[in-house]
Amino acid sequence: MKLKKVVALLLAGAMVLSMAACGNDGGASSSAPESSEESSAAPESSEADDSNAEAENTTSGVDLSAADCTLEMWCIATESDSNRHSYEAAIEEMASEYPNITLNWEAFENQSYKTKIKAAMAADEVPDIFFTWSCAFLGDFVAQDKVYCLDETYAEYQSELPEVMMANSTYDGKHYGVPLTMNIVGLFANMELLEEAGYQEIPGTYDEFIACCDALKEKGIIPFGCAGSETWCVTEYLESVIEKSIGADAMNDIFLGRATWNNQEVADAVDTFQSMVTNGYFDPNGISLSNDEVKANFMAGKYAFYMNGTWNCADFANDENFFPKVKVAEFPVINADKSELGQLIGGPSDTLAVTAASENAAVAAKYTFELGKKICHYGYLDGCGLPAWTPYGDTSSVNALTQDVAQICNEAKAYVLFGDTAMNADEANTYLDYVAQVYGSNIDGKGFIEGLAKDIR
Amino acid sequence: MKNKTYRNVTVFLFLLPGLILFIGVLIAPIIMSVVYSLYDLRSISTQGMEFIGLGNYQELFTSGSISFWKALGNSLLLAALSVFIQLPLSLGLALMLGKGVKGERAFLSVYFLPVLISTVVIGQLWRKIYNPDYGILNAVLGLFGASNVMPTGGWLGNVSSALWCVFIPTLWQYVGYHMLLMYAGVRSVSPDLREAAKLDGATDAQVDRYIVIPCIKPILRVSVIFAVTGSLKSFDLIYVLTNGGPFHATEVPSTLMINMLFERNRYGMGSTIAVLMIALCFAFAIIISAVFKERDIYGKK
Amino acid sequence: MEKSKETGLEQYHVQKTNKFLRTLIYIGLILWALIDLFPIYWMFTFSLKSNEEVYGMNVMGLPKEWLWSNYQKAMTTGNMPRYFLNSVIVTVVTIVISLVAALMATYAMTRIVWKGRTLMNSFFMLGITIPIHASIVPIFITLSKLHMTNSYWSLIIPYSAFSLAMAILICTGFMNDIPKDLDEAACIDGCGLWKTFMLIIVPLMKPALATISIYTFLQCWNELMFANVFISKEALKTLPVGIQALSGRHTTEWGPIGAALVIATFPTLLAYVFMSKSIQESFIAGAVKG
Repeated sequence: MKLKKVVALLLAGAMVLSMAACGNDGGASSSAPESSEESSAAPESSEADDSNAEAENTTSGVDLSAADCTLEMWCIATESDSNRHSYEAAIEEMASEYPNITLNWEAFENQSYKTKIKAAMAADEVPDIFFTWSCAFLGDFVAQDKVYCLDETYAEYQSELPEVMMANSTYDGKHYGVPLTMNIVGLFANMELLEEAGYQEIPGTYDEFIACCDALKEKGIIPFGCAGSETWCVTEYLESVIEKSIGADAMNDIFLGRATWNNQEVADAVDTFQSMVTNGYFDPNGISLSNDEVKANFMAGKYAFYMNGTWNCADFANDENFFPKVKVAEFPVINADKSELGQLIGGPSDTLAVTAASENAAVAAKYTFELGKKICHYGYLDGCGLPAWTPYGDTSSVNALTQDVAQICNEAKAYVLFGDTAMNADEANTYLDYVAQVYGSNIDGKGFIEGLAKDIR
Repeated sequence: MKNKTYRNVTVFLFLLPGLILFIGVLIAPIIMSVVYSLYDLRSISTQGMEFIGLGNYQELFTSGSISFWKALGNSLLLAALSVFIQLPLSLGLALMLGKGVKGERAFLSVYFLPVLISTVVIGQLWRKIYNPDYGILNAVLGLFGASNVMPTGGWLGNVSSALWCVFIPTLWQYVGYHMLLMYAGVRSVSPDLREAAKLDGATDAQVDRYIVIPCIKPILRVSVIFAVTGSLKSFDLIYVLTNGGPFHATEVPSTLMINMLFERNRYGMGSTIAVLMIALCFAFAIIISAVFKERDIYGKK
Repeated sequence: MEKSKETGLEQYHVQKTNKFLRTLIYIGLILWALIDLFPIYWMFTFSLKSNEEVYGMNVMGLPKEWLWSNYQKAMTTGNMPRYFLNSVIVTVVTIVISLVAALMATYAMTRIVWKGRTLMNSFFMLGITIPIHASIVPIFITLSKLHMTNSYWSLIIPYSAFSLAMAILICTGFMNDIPKDLDEAACIDGCGLWKTFMLIIVPLMKPALATISIYTFLQCWNELMFANVFISKEALKTLPVGIQALSGRHTTEWGPIGAALVIATFPTLLAYVFMSKSIQESFIAGAVKG
């Protein structure tokens, strides 16, 4: 089956390409920042290898069917979340397979969840299993010794869950999270509007792309929709522009604290982005809208392009009227000397983890892997993202848009994780604040790099 | 002597519930806030927090990404708008109602109505009113042929209009509150006094200016204090409408504080902002009292 | 302010002012009344409309098709009755606690003669200006360490403390109106301080009850910051937190959000329609006594 092959290729590809590991924040050897092997191959490799070898021998030995307990879980799959169905389906399946384990789960709205989980973590009131974003967000908790180490349990799942997908939740060679889906930033286009401006395809080069935006503008079509009230939506655009200007490696170095923000090329890239704003490519009303509202506008045909996470494929696929019009591509290269196609923004971020304080931590860990595998499965079928786990079962029903994304990822050469996920809470907010100021034209590229260089470390 | 001890014990017992609440929930936390504001506190485990003296204050005043001065300016501007737009409007309505119009009761009831609606409801409602695409404000303006007056970025998205658009729902909600306070005052002015002034040939405006307003000065003072401290502590409505955006155009100290605490985990910095807010509220309460005392030429009863 | 004075004033009428001014006054009053009512009217109408109607077909008019299903949706996905009940519980208990504490403290400060009672009074009055947010960090840290977040008490205790100053202020006004002779008579009859308080003062303070309730209600019913931070359990969410979460989840579905807003507002409005006069009078009493 064609798709299965694509995914297999993608996973094989992911093995060799670089994914920046977050665990060794700055402290790790900066001489080989993009070691194409894994974080375990870093300086402390021998140690890590030992523990891995050990882990393979001493598995958790937990038998879920024999376990009899109640587990609590928090996540962000609210009623309106596109992941809702995959959680429900996976949990239902778990309940029938392991009737003795009761899972009580609660879903919170994304933004308030961040507050909630941090407060609860500090008070040791987190349920057994909790949703988290990988890298810095989970890293904060790991640093506080609040998270249960999954090494023993992971040993049983190594064949189904590639090590490379664990990279973002691996700290000092130890595994702390079960990844669900992985997503990248996609350039979604409403082809009906593009045709009005005389384009049959999404332009592949930056010059053509800008010409296309101008043509759209002339026709009275707004090229981009972006929710200014949620700054992460702005980063989806800005980070793509920066990556395609300075290259993935340089960007990873900056995000992970191995290089300074004070980089003239970043400033130029920010100016490029800002000129897109000042040229009127963005819907000015977007500033006060939420992402849901902007997405609804895009689906209603108000914008030609919408850059956002590929988890949106599910929502697009569910709208019969809109789905035939939408296509996805990666953002074109701006500076071919530094960057190339295949350098993407994204990676596995949605993660489940187990609380160290959990009374049934070992059972919860095993349960989390089983549950994560199923959520990943159903999420992939629903088009919520690409699978972090090796897909199983019949996956032919995956929507065409997600298949296109899989194709893009298959040709991926490097990933840079979303900036606000890669940085810790304080730095991420400082970063987001400067991004917002760029979007609002309060500062230019120079102000951006100087401000960040001053306020972050 | 025994009697005196008994009395002292009784006094103490009577004060006890109030004191426990007041000291436990207000005074002690404020002292703790002052202490925390001197530390670099980044998790709720207070062990091993680092003493940094006035470091938080220094960072707050100089950082490029923490827009404290902007937030402070905004809340002072909101306070000024409350005093110079909201209160005169309330006073105007109170004076008009105080003249004994028909349907006085009905007007009063309608004006007071928004006060009883939850601020979050009002915030969500006004978000819809301001919606750049489908909001009722644009539709209403369209009826008057002014469909294009919306600033670029939308009502809540334009840096120069956002603060005004946040102020208007506050106005809408609280005019009734102050109106009712002032109306009570206007009503308590002796009718004989007004009659006498009228017989002396004073116009309505003169009666209001020279008889009624001086008489309700104590209530005006209360209104001004409520309006100013209310603006300095305003949070709910702004949090719901804009959460400080766009680009800090509507940032106030309380939204900044919540951002520090729960987005950035910077409890020390959050405490610093809290301490400054307390200081500010006190400073204004004292200033307002002083202003009214000085200008209170007619004196209280 | 005595009642007789207030009613005596009804004699003074706008009829005595000139016609032009009179019209102007009515125009002004009606205009503001419309500004007050129109958003509420609009909220009711869009709560019953479909997105198609809201988005352009019928922006201002009454709904063409009355979509009661919006209400059903708000009730089932949003759990509105639960939020409402929680708000009522928190507000009522807060009122009771701050009332009892304020009555006792005020009695000690106004009826018993002791050194430093005025100082004590000004101490309590600090609470009027202190913003509730000022104490959130220490309270949050303390409650978290004690595992006391996610309980009604984590809201009730701070709310009571912050309502206390206003309650004492109002109580003082009312208590000063009770003649001191009553205490003295009770004293001669052999009543102790406690007995005097329970048998003489408390029954006479009934009017203060309504006034304090209204001010405390206004403060607690709306509170978002503490409630948002301290309550994460769905079953304990108060109305402001619940509505905020609900609107975040359904931003683009206007009808159900409108329905939730109406559900949150309706009981209060209903109570107000029946009791508007006494609510206003109690509110005014607070201002005058304070």
